[in-house]
Amino acid sequence: METVLKKAKLSRNDIDYVMATGYGRRNFDPANGELSELSCHAKGVLFTNPQVRTIIDIGGQDAKVLRINDKGILENFMMNDKCAAGTGRFLDVMANILQMPVNELEKRAELAEKPAKISSTCTVFAESEVISQLATGETVENVIAGICNSVASRVAGLAKRVGIKEEVFMSGGVAQNGGVRKALEKELKVPIKWSETSQMMGALGAAISAYEQVKKRGVLNE
Amino acid sequence: MSGLKESLQKFHKIASSPKEQLKNYLAQDKKVVICAPVYTPEEIVHAMGMVPMGTWGADIEIKEAKTYFPAFICSVMQSVLELGIRGEFEGASAIIIPSLCDSLKCLGENWKSSVKNIPFIPMVYPQNRKADFGKAFTKAGYERVIADLEKATGQSFDDAKLTESIAIYNEHNAIMRQLSDCLNDYPEITAVDRNAIFQSAFYMEKSEHTALVKDLISELTKTEKTANNKIKIVTTGILVDAEDLLKILDDNDMQIVADNVASESRQYHVDAKPAETALDSLSCKFADMDNCSVLFNVDKAIAQYTVGLVSKYQANGVIFVMTKFCDPEEFDYVMIKKACAEKNIPLLLVEIDRQMTNYEQVRTAVETFKEILK
Repeated sequence: METVLKKAKLSRNDIDYVMATGYGRRNFDPANGELSELSCHAKGVLFTNPQVRTIIDIGGQDAKVLRINDKGILENFMMNDKCAAGTGRFLDVMANILQMPVNELEKRAELAEKPAKISSTCTVFAESEVISQLATGETVENVIAGICNSVASRVAGLAKRVGIKEEVFMSGGVAQNGGVRKALEKELKVPIKWSETSQMMGALGAAISAYEQVKKRGVLNE
Repeated sequence: MSGLKESLQKFHKIASSPKEQLKNYLAQDKKVVICAPVYTPEEIVHAMGMVPMGTWGADIEIKEAKTYFPAFICSVMQSVLELGIRGEFEGASAIIIPSLCDSLKCLGENWKSSVKNIPFIPMVYPQNRKADFGKAFTKAGYERVIADLEKATGQSFDDAKLTESIAIYNEHNAIMRQLSDCLNDYPEITAVDRNAIFQSAFYMEKSEHTALVKDLISELTKTEKTANNKIKIVTTGILVDAEDLLKILDDNDMQIVADNVASESRQYHVDAKPAETALDSLSCKFADMDNCSVLFNVDKAIAQYTVGLVSKYQANGVIFVMTKFCDPEEFDYVMIKKACAEKNIPLLLVEIDRQMTNYEQVRTAVETFKEILK
């Protein structure tokens, strides 16, 4: 927090309310309040894209699908089960096997001629599948496209359980990966919006929520 | 210490120390028969002068049971076997394991190979339990259990004694139903407390548990009722006894106003009614049971039953606690989800198993669900 404040040339006294979100939210002592990252993502996305009704948030360790009603209120959601398949962790593991940075996956996936079939059931199984595919001469690009399809297939299953309602927005770090985005569009047969700041939607939502708290309290630090 | 706190502590103590309970009964020269989930004819064991002690496994690290089970199977079954291998049931005269799901069938067969000093007694139930042939099949299963118990323990069976035991069990069923409703007026009784009351029932002779529950109700009625601002929820699933999960519900001001959980209220839905013999009465009781994922029902009545609970208890939503790898529950989830959606009842699915050490994902889901309910 000190680093962030220093960078913004602010002190703790300049901040009226700190809202913590994410899995570590309960352990962040300087926070005045805490809010689940699902609620924060919903707030953040709706603030920037009020017409969005479905949010697909794929983060480092889990995947979530949120549905918003016409009043802009979160009405339903699903989270992935206890498995890394369909999450950013899955992409990290695969990038590690392929010995390339995770942000290179998108570029290489675009060069694929025929995506390989990679299991969407289990990260550990998929890891051995990727190695086997490479060993049998499959191109790295086809394998990467298969990996993106695998993540998309898993998350699409989750999204269909919640029910897709347009517009659809992708938040979280994996939104940066065009390979997964395009594969998801194909699976769900809907266009998927995203932004360069998709990864920041949770933080934005937390900030909005903190602002609401301060407004409720009626004392805004000038 | 107030009478209410003292009363609650008794349940907590028993719920947290089943091995101690087993030792106590053995020290009183009583024979104990372990009863595995889901529905085991405890009344028969009781009528034969022994203590039926239920087990739903425990939240433990599963090591030895992995020699016998594949990784992707219900952890309730795995942990029951683990406890057996570790000697947690040492001194018990037998274990009865019903065949109500595929995992339970595996548990019985694995038990034979891995826990040789406690005989395994199977209870084979019919899929079609309501027709006369189904009742006859159930009765034949009970007769097999009786024969096996006589052989394993040297105790004998008497139908007249079973009539007495059935009366004790029916009284316990009634008091548990009364308790579940009564707790709704006392939001200070936490989800953790509620679970301790239900869980302790498995480790005690039912007449003793009935007496404790009566005391608790009496203490509750002496307590002044306070305003109830909690979020009312209905829980459904096989097992909802993880303290970390229940604490999350308490932290989020949620009150379980009714449940359709196999290890809780599903045990007490149906009483045995008088019949030609006490054993017929018990067979008919099983035929009358419903609203459980392991009890075949072509109409999937469990879905409407869940919706009915929400309406009856004016609950704000349903939490479906899915025990990982429980196939029957996974089938029923779809029906329940659809039925709730039709009535605009918010439903949260959380997945648990016996080996969970971190509940943060569940916390996130429950907190978000609370936001929706608000």
